[in-house]
Amino acid sequence: MKDAFRRRKRRGGSGLGTFRSQLTLQLMVLPCMAFLLIFAYVPIAGNVIAFQDFNLSGGFFGSRFIGLAHFREMFSDPSFYMAMRNTVILSLLNMLIVFPAPLLFALIVNEIPILRFKKIVQTSSYLPNFISFAMVASMWIFLLDPKGMVNQSLMLLHLTKHPIEFWTEPGLFRPLSVVIGIWKGVGWGAIIYLAAISGINPDLYEAAKMDGAGRIKRIFYITLPNLIPLFSILFILNVGTLFSGNLDQSVLLGNSFNKETSYVIEYYSLQMGLELTRYSYATAVSFFQSVMAIVLVLIANWFSGKVSGNRLF
Amino acid sequence: MHARIRLTAEDKAVNVFVIVVTVLALLATFYPIYYLLVYSLNDPIDAASGGLYWFPRKFTLENYEYVFKNDHLLGSFLITAARTALGTLTGVLFTALGAYALSKDRLALRKVYSIVGLVTMYFSGGLIPSYLLYQRLHLLDTFWVYIVPALFSIYNALLFMAFFRQLPSELEESAKVDGAGDFYIFARLVLPLSKPVLATVSLFVAVNHWNDWFSSAYFVSNQNLWTLPTIIVRMLSDNSIMDNMKNMSPGMRMDPLSTLLAIKYATLIVTILPIAAVYPFIQKYFVQGMMVGAIKA
Repeated sequence: MKDAFRRRKRRGGSGLGTFRSQLTLQLMVLPCMAFLLIFAYVPIAGNVIAFQDFNLSGGFFGSRFIGLAHFREMFSDPSFYMAMRNTVILSLLNMLIVFPAPLLFALIVNEIPILRFKKIVQTSSYLPNFISFAMVASMWIFLLDPKGMVNQSLMLLHLTKHPIEFWTEPGLFRPLSVVIGIWKGVGWGAIIYLAAISGINPDLYEAAKMDGAGRIKRIFYITLPNLIPLFSILFILNVGTLFSGNLDQSVLLGNSFNKETSYVIEYYSLQMGLELTRYSYATAVSFFQSVMAIVLVLIANWFSGKVSGNRLF
Repeated sequence: MHARIRLTAEDKAVNVFVIVVTVLALLATFYPIYYLLVYSLNDPIDAASGGLYWFPRKFTLENYEYVFKNDHLLGSFLITAARTALGTLTGVLFTALGAYALSKDRLALRKVYSIVGLVTMYFSGGLIPSYLLYQRLHLLDTFWVYIVPALFSIYNALLFMAFFRQLPSELEESAKVDGAGDFYIFARLVLPLSKPVLATVSLFVAVNHWNDWFSSAYFVSNQNLWTLPTIIVRMLSDNSIMDNMKNMSPGMRMDPLSTLLAIKYATLIVTILPIAAVYPFIQKYFVQGMMVGAIKA
C-alpha cells in the first residue's frame, strides 16, 4: 500500500513559495486532511476517556483521570467473560471454517470444464455479499423459523419429528453463524484466489501432464501450493480478528434465548456505551480489544515468518 | 487445456464432482431468495398451509400492495434513496479531489499527507469516541450523520490514486501550456477519462450507503429518518405491521398472523430486488475494484 504514496522523484521542493504556486492543488487535498484530523484522529485521541471518569459536561479535558479502574472492573464482570468466550470461539470457528472456504470454493470453480457455466457460477456466487446483513439475517430467521421452509421440508422428509428451534437453542447459534458466514462471503472471498490461479504459469500444468500427473495431482501439487503464500498473508491479517466479534451477527441474529452463545464483546461495549451511557467503560473495553488485535498480528507475523517465510511486514 | 483429447476416468470423476457441487452452491445461493418471492406472491392464508416450494399456488399481488401503502416504508425508501444519491456524489467527488492532488509528485508536503492518511488505515478510534464526536458536532439525529462521516475514504483514495497515476503526463503538460489551471484539468480532462474508476468507487460507496443499518439504529433516534435496512429489522422483529392493519383488505384481516408473514417476505423482496436487478450489469466493476485494492495491499 505504501507504494502508491511513495514519492518517485523529489521535484519542486516544499518551501512556502512552492506551496503558494500550487494553491489549487493544496486546496484540493487540505479538506481531506482536515476531514481525517477531525473524523479519524479526534476519535483516536478520544480513547483517553478509557482512563477517565468521563462525563458530558466535563468533556475530554475536564473529566477526572482514574487510571485503570475501568479495566479492573471489566476483568471482574462475568458478562465480559461470557462475551469474551463467545467472541473467541466464534472467531476460531470463523478462522478454521469460514476463512478457508473461499480457497476451497476457488479450487472447485476453477475445475469447472464449461467456461460459460464457470462464469455464471463465479458471478452469481458473490451476489449475497452485496445484500445488507439486515436483510440476510431477516431472511434466515424466517427460513429457519419453527414454521419456516427448512423445518417444513425436514418434517416432510421425516428427518425430524418436531420442528428444530434453530434460533432459541443456544447450542445451534455457532453452527448457524458459520453457515450464514459462508453463504454470504464464500463467493466474494474466492475472487482473489481465482485471480491468483489465473496468474499461475500454464507451462507448469503442461509439464505435469507430460509427467503423467492427473487432475487431482495437479490441483494438489501445482494450484494449491501456488495459493499458499496469498493464503498465509490473508491469514495473518485474519488472526488479528481473534478478539473481535461480528457485531452484525450478534445484534441481528442474537436474542435473549441464545445470548449465552451469541453475545460478543462488540455488543457488550455497544450496550454499555450507548444503552447505559457508560462511555468511559465502553471505550475501555474496545481499547483493550484494539491492543489485543495489534499484539496478535505482530505475533502471527513473526510466527509465519519463522515457519513459512511469508511475512506481511 | 481445452484441446479435445480423450478424458480419463479421473477427469470425468472430477468434472462430475465439480458440477454437482457448484450446482448445489447455486441453488443454496438463489433458492432462499426465490422461496421468499414465491411465498410473497401467493395468497397468505393459502401459503400458511405449507407445501409451497417452486411456484405460487394462488397468485396475488396483495402483499405487495400492502407494502407500498405503508407510509413508514415509503418514507424510509425515500430517505435511503436520498442518502445513497447524495452520499455517493459527495463521497466520491471529495475523495477524488484529494486523491488527484495526492497523486501528483510535485505536491508540497506530500509525505506528511501520506503519513496522515496511512495511519488511519491501521488505527481507528472506535465507536464511542466517534459517537461523542458526532454529538459534539450536532450530527446525531440528523440526516447529515449519514453523509458527513462518509465523505472521505482512504481505501477509495488509493483506488483513485492508482488510476490517476496511469494517465499520461503529457495530457496535463499540454493543458498547462494552454494556460489551464489544476482544477480545470481535473474537472474537464481527468474526470471524463476516469469513468472506470469512478464507476467502481461509486458502486462501492453506493452499496455501503444502501445497506447500512447501523447508523440509523444507533445515531438517529427519529424514526422518520431511518433507512430501509434499519426499518426492516425493526418491522420484522416487532409486530408494528399489525398497527397498520387498516390498510389490509378484508380477506387479509381474517388471518392476521399468516398475512403478517407474507407481508414480511414481500418487504424483504422489495428491498433485495433493487440490488439483485442491477447486479448483473455492475458486478464487473466490483471485481475490478476488488482486484486493484488487493494488488495495492
